[in-house]
Amino acid sequence: MSAEVVGSRSEVRRPRLGDAILVSEISQFLAYESELLDDRRWHEWMDIVADDFTYQVPTPRTPDSPFKPHYDDRSLLIDESKWSMSTQWFRRFDADIYETAWGENPPVRFRHLVTNVRVRLTDDPDVYEVRSNVALVGTRQSDPPKYITGERTDRIVRRDGELVLARRWVVLDQVVIDFPQLRILL
Amino acid sequence: MSITQTGQPQVTVARRSWGDEEVFHREMETIFRHSWQYVAHESEIPEPGDYVVRKMGRDPVIVVRDENGDVRVHLNTCRHRGVPLCRADSGNTSHFRCSYHGWTYANTGELRGVTYQADVYGKGGLDKKTLPLFSPAQVDSELGLIFATWDPEAPTLREYLGDILWYLESIIGKHPEGMEVVGTPVRNIVRANWKTEGENLSGDGYHTTVTHASAFDLGLFATTKDLVKLADEVAPKFTGRTVTTPEGHSMRVQRLPLKGLKGNHYFGYPKDMWPAFDERLSPPQQDLMSCLSVGHGSVFPNMSFIENFKTNVDGPDLHARYFRITVRYPIDATTSEQLWFFLVPKGADPEWARLSRLAYLRTNGPSGLFEIDDTENFVGISEASVGDVSRNLPIVLEGGKHHPDASAELGWPGHVVEGDKTERTIRNFHRRWAEIVDLESAEAGTR
Repeated sequence: MSAEVVGSRSEVRRPRLGDAILVSEISQFLAYESELLDDRRWHEWMDIVADDFTYQVPTPRTPDSPFKPHYDDRSLLIDESKWSMSTQWFRRFDADIYETAWGENPPVRFRHLVTNVRVRLTDDPDVYEVRSNVALVGTRQSDPPKYITGERTDRIVRRDGELVLARRWVVLDQVVIDFPQLRILL
Repeated sequence: MSITQTGQPQVTVARRSWGDEEVFHREMETIFRHSWQYVAHESEIPEPGDYVVRKMGRDPVIVVRDENGDVRVHLNTCRHRGVPLCRADSGNTSHFRCSYHGWTYANTGELRGVTYQADVYGKGGLDKKTLPLFSPAQVDSELGLIFATWDPEAPTLREYLGDILWYLESIIGKHPEGMEVVGTPVRNIVRANWKTEGENLSGDGYHTTVTHASAFDLGLFATTKDLVKLADEVAPKFTGRTVTTPEGHSMRVQRLPLKGLKGNHYFGYPKDMWPAFDERLSPPQQDLMSCLSVGHGSVFPNMSFIENFKTNVDGPDLHARYFRITVRYPIDATTSEQLWFFLVPKGADPEWARLSRLAYLRTNGPSGLFEIDDTENFVGISEASVGDVSRNLPIVLEGGKHHPDASAELGWPGHVVEGDKTERTIRNFHRRWAEIVDLESAEAGTR
């Protein structure tokens, strides 16, 4: 909705974006986070996630106007916390359970491609609103790979000098989702 | 279709039913041309002009509330050259205008405007009254659930739903103001035949302990540890019953194994909601809903519903109940599109509604762990149904034939049988399916 007409000045103020050093640090953090997810190193992933972490994906839709969002945040596709992800997602890969975690055994192979990282500064110098574009490729068994794309809005905070992921909100581009499974951390 | 050798299954279905394109086309011509199909919930289109785009079989339809407040269903295609009128999933409009030549229809379906009519068709060359949008022969709703059928000879919706309506009334009608759909439904592609998930939801209590073994380990099924906090006495086993109707609908009712409770206990709902349930439900319906663990069923052909009590959904002892409707649109023999509707009682406490949403999303929502384990089975059935040998092999569907009849003593409508682990609801679906599809005469006719 901030589309500009050439030659005119937008009313929308340009956000305060992070400098090259900060953007590099946060991009590196996001790439490392993706590595942990793609390698299923859940315990290491939880070490870089805040205890009050939430992860939500609203329902994608085709609206009847270009001025309305292409998602509906009244209904969600995914609504998780660090507690639910550790006890109901990652726990399924533990040695005593994985044999009956049928949907994830054999696991779908995931590959995250994260680009266009934009670091917005906030009033709190230790809190960043980080937007990025994400493509997730998923390969189930011998099936051809499938992909899904979206835009993340993350809250990344600095605690005791280290970056941690505090919130993730992902808006998807596909309306009728065609992916090996929907239990996905984009 | 039946194999009658001694010791062999008496009721079975050839596997090609889940993977063969000819069977699929026969289904489209028979089942989806004649059955009532669920298209939307009234709460999705509360205001005049509100519409959603859905499907009946493979045909896109617009479900719209007209300016008089009546619900209309129209095929989403212009009478002129066939271009779809709605390209969005939902919206609000008093008229639909075609993007090709601009023919315009009122949301009642009447053709109101033909651009350059006199130039193109001459004076009196085209009678707009004869060209309304194509619409299903019958549209009706029960409990806010809107259904439509192309068949003018089809029975009324009430007759079609038959005894399953009493069960839907127990679930939806126990709420004084009814239920409402929360937001836009999630849609996804499932690489499985449209029937497989509905067969499971029709009443397959047999798969639970195996397919969902990990959910037991993770505490998402009420365990003794949870149950002792709900009642003084806990029986060792969950018990269940199934209900079938001649129209092909069915339901499974599993109870929490609790004993020594006085009065009705609608666990998973806030206690202040319970008195209204007692008031609105008849004694046999109270018996159905009290201490319900899970109640799920399928409305023939492609709609399913589930009300489910889930434990520890957002931390220890945080239990809640949710209600979900799913519908599966056929795409081809091994592909379907599933729509997911999460409903809450109108006026529900927001914090409880949040827990109910988590109970749904984290278990039987599109990203829930029950669902991804189930889906592997459904995809597998279609994958294994397209081989040249496997397509004509039978399956086994004999479970529960020896279970005792409970219809008389309970006062529940339909054919009610004791037994939680059974295949009788799937047999009931396929009995009805075979009557309608009538593959044998179709094949005899083409020889």
